[in-house]
Amino acid sequence: MKQFLLKVEPVIWLLFGQGIMIGTMLLTGWVLVMGVLAPLGVVDSLSYEHAHGLASSLIGRVVLAALIALPLWKGAHHIRSLSIDFGGADRDTELATFLYGIAAVGSLLAIVAVVRL
Amino acid sequence: MSDPPKKTFVITRFDPDVDEVPKTQSYEIAVDPDWKVLDAVNYIKDEVDGTLSHRWSCRMAVCGSCGMMVNGEPRLTCKDSVSQYGDTVEITPLSNFPVIRDLVVDMDGFMDKFKKVKPWIIRAKELAAEDGPVRQSPEELEEFKQFSMCINCMLCYSACPVVSNEPEFLGPAAIALGHRYNVDSRDEGASERNAIFRGEGTVFSCSFANECSEVCPKNVDPAAAVNQAKFNAVIDWATGLVLPSGEKE
Amino acid sequence: MARPAHPQAMQPVKPGRTRTAPPTMPPQFPMTGRYRAYTLFDATGFLYLFVGFVALRVVWALGTGSAAWASIQQQLANPLYIGFHVITLAAVCFVAVRFFGLFPKAQPPRIGPAKPPPGPVIVGMLYAAWIGITVLMSAALMGGIS
Repeated sequence: MKQFLLKVEPVIWLLFGQGIMIGTMLLTGWVLVMGVLAPLGVVDSLSYEHAHGLASSLIGRVVLAALIALPLWKGAHHIRSLSIDFGGADRDTELATFLYGIAAVGSLLAIVAVVRL
Repeated sequence: MSDPPKKTFVITRFDPDVDEVPKTQSYEIAVDPDWKVLDAVNYIKDEVDGTLSHRWSCRMAVCGSCGMMVNGEPRLTCKDSVSQYGDTVEITPLSNFPVIRDLVVDMDGFMDKFKKVKPWIIRAKELAAEDGPVRQSPEELEEFKQFSMCINCMLCYSACPVVSNEPEFLGPAAIALGHRYNVDSRDEGASERNAIFRGEGTVFSCSFANECSEVCPKNVDPAAAVNQAKFNAVIDWATGLVLPSGEKE
Repeated sequence: MARPAHPQAMQPVKPGRTRTAPPTMPPQFPMTGRYRAYTLFDATGFLYLFVGFVALRVVWALGTGSAAWASIQQQLANPLYIGFHVITLAAVCFVAVRFFGLFPKAQPPRIGPAKPPPGPVIVGMLYAAWIGITVLMSAALMGGIS
């Protein structure tokens, strides 16, 4: 497993890097409106028809899939990093497998979620 | 003329023949305001306690010998003036290294990592003297010059939280040096080094804390080198997928 | 005393002739000095992981139907969710600022013949992209785009 992780490391690093870059850029507006302004009632939340129409466009699906999946890779990689910094290197292979596994499952679900819109 | 100011130096002591674990010892001395921290440590050794052991050499921040933790930060003690510190100065051996005695750390682990990155020009075919010199433009030199300025002082290893916890990690200076050769226009060994960069001690273990660059006394910016090395290793990996023979250029 | 580092940290392949004291971590780690920002930067990983799964729930509800969509909107109005999103928003901005500052120096001097633009230009482009994408996303989510 350790050798496998070393082999796929470039892919994980790319996903993690885009998780920071694209994930952060996409998340800002999303968290601001969907997570704060709309629930607080400062702005109106989208009607189902409008939201569905927007989301089910090609660009909507791609953006939403990226918005869900990319932050998961950033999250997994940084939690792994934090674990190592606090002395978890000897359990790293198991933890990394678990964390990237979660990110991978989440990414697959993201694709399913936007396909089934 | 008033009495010269006094400062207390709290220094870590460790004699493997006598001590179970390191302990501290305090030395209150009058300091000359023109002193560097190294001058104070040398004074303590020369005049107060001859058993204190520490490394030093050039006194001008080019040899990299006198690295120690001063008030919790890895510093070249010949660079810091005593005046920039308060009445109590804590001096401990460099973090992340096994300690041989007092302020002297074991450097051999560092030398081991260095050798792994093949820090020399690699040519597919060695040139003969008759072929003349290899030409390099100032622009080509600029691409790696900064990374060649490392004095091997190991402050970056002391500051890096990944070095603390991942024994296999190659570490800032070794990766910066490997990257320096990868980027050198005269070198043809990038594929070899990138394979090392992606093996045990992988450059991808770097978490971009940037502490190495913060503490580097020569502005080498090893964090830049390591993260550029990640990028180059990915490109190398990607081209390796497209060109399975691993041929570069 | 500083916390211990990994017992094998910086150990030589060939052990020395005398017993050595074990390596210790830099004393300012994890939450003093510059390490604090770094540790927090890594810790935002938890928030990113969680917010990704919350977004998954929202998009899944959208795909399920109008009742599910209404239900998830109501759940997001829970003060705990709002509090989480406020903290996450701060975290996302913190990550962006720290990352954009470090990104330019991580670009290799050249990829083939192409040279990256100078550092300040890269930073400017990143901030412009961030602001632009945020404005577009916000406008879309507020009903301004259909």
